[in-house]
Amino acid sequence: MAEAGPAANGGVAALSVEDIHKSFGPLEVLKGISLTAHEHNVISILGSSGSGKSTFLRCINLLENPTAGQVHVQGELIRMKPGRAGDLVAEDDKQVERIRAKLAMVFQSFNLWSHMTVLQNVIEGPIHVLKVPKEEAIARGEAVLERVGMLERKDYYPAHCSGGQQQRAAIARALAMEPEVMLFDEPTSALDPELVGEVLRVMRSLADEGRTMLVVTHEMGFAREVSDKVMFLHEGRVEEYGEPQQVFEAPKSERFKQFLAGTLK
Amino acid sequence: MAEERAPSLFEAIREFSADSSPLDFMVILDHWDLFLTGIWNTLTLVVLALVIGGAISLPLAVIRARKTAIANQIVFVYVYVFRGTPLLVQLYLIYYGMGQFEAVRESFLWPFLRDAWWCTLLAFTLNTAAYTTEIFRGAIEAVPFGEVEAAKACGMSKMQQTTRILLPNALRRALPMYSNEVIFMLHGSVVASTVTIVDILGAGRTINGKYYLAYEGFIAAAVLFMILVFFITRAFKVWEKHWHAHLRPRDLSGEKAGAGRSAQPAPAE
Repeated sequence: MAEAGPAANGGVAALSVEDIHKSFGPLEVLKGISLTAHEHNVISILGSSGSGKSTFLRCINLLENPTAGQVHVQGELIRMKPGRAGDLVAEDDKQVERIRAKLAMVFQSFNLWSHMTVLQNVIEGPIHVLKVPKEEAIARGEAVLERVGMLERKDYYPAHCSGGQQQRAAIARALAMEPEVMLFDEPTSALDPELVGEVLRVMRSLADEGRTMLVVTHEMGFAREVSDKVMFLHEGRVEEYGEPQQVFEAPKSERFKQFLAGTLK
Repeated sequence: MAEERAPSLFEAIREFSADSSPLDFMVILDHWDLFLTGIWNTLTLVVLALVIGGAISLPLAVIRARKTAIANQIVFVYVYVFRGTPLLVQLYLIYYGMGQFEAVRESFLWPFLRDAWWCTLLAFTLNTAAYTTEIFRGAIEAVPFGEVEAAKACGMSKMQQTTRILLPNALRRALPMYSNEVIFMLHGSVVASTVTIVDILGAGRTINGKYYLAYEGFIAAAVLFMILVFFITRAFKVWEKHWHAHLRPRDLSGEKAGAGRSAQPAPAE
């Protein structure tokens, strides 16, 4: 009963999103956005505030319920049914929970669990969602903390870490789930300028090791140098999409040109 | 043939207590078993009510915070009624009122409901559950939404989000407010003495009734309450130290000395 995903070029896409619409009341925030991420793809999603880029990302793991559209993860369709509020809601909560575990998310405001230490944050999902034995989860947790340079802070509470450290811990928490796709929702927007670098370095190294990543960001340098594809959203539509080279050198859309002019002052 | 002898030290103290001392403390000591019974009754009633009421309030607080349809309204009315009326009135309604109904007297619950102790436990439990529901609701609503969202995003079920993230976080926040509820409940428990139960105040009242000595019994009761409150506040202080480690500002003294790690070690799980 596993429905065949839209298998582009033979291989099943890690993530494919088709024609997502989202309205908040009368306001249509997303007007049909599609995207396909193959394994090892890094896709940056750009746009000015209010363009719907965060909402789009949140529709993928159903933190936000889309009004219409489809999401396939590794070819598996997230089954949705019409909800009372006129949006689509999960048909089977268990399926959505299973799929969310494959789509680790990193938030703008870190959202670490404040009553747990850094290590406890990192092993929580593996133990309670993936049912990994505790010792194994700790070993795995320490490995990912090492990976993001947070091992020596593993016994600290989030409130006792800097923003950059918290975000790296949050990335470790996402990594510990061994996700198929990582969703980054403006991971550096809440950070002091001098802390942005440490987080971007970690993200860059994840891209280098072949992670599949969707990154909503304002970091033009990252989008340009690290991503395989860049998507520019404006007023709920895809205005520009392509390889960073082509998109940044020769933008087709007038809006994107203005956006670039605005950000690269 | 009465033997003439000097009064023993014990008798001297007794004489001093009865005649010279402003407070006849020997009366209190003579009735130590009465006060022990009082302490036992007060403690069992309050502790049981807090444990059962606390357990009841957890799901009710989640219902209130999540604004679950229909259930939320029912819980709201329950909380309003029990916070809106004095504990003494609630106890009277349960103890004197319920027996008026044929159905109650016929029911299998009658052996319990005709007993003052069970009626008191019921009143205390329902009362503290109502107050605690509001305390926990406030604490749950104060948990940053992002933390629950992060739990959701990593694939936790609704139940796991609640038991692993929402409640552990909220209950830690609720600790200082909850210590107030515990102390109020302890003090409120004196109403038990009005329905024949010998609690701490009941012991004092017994002394008063027996000897017309008001101070002795009531001062003894007051001191016992203060001692209990002392232990309650100590316990909460220890708990807050343990459970609020994540809320305290970081102690930088160790850090400056170059001790990079564990300036703020986590409490062991």
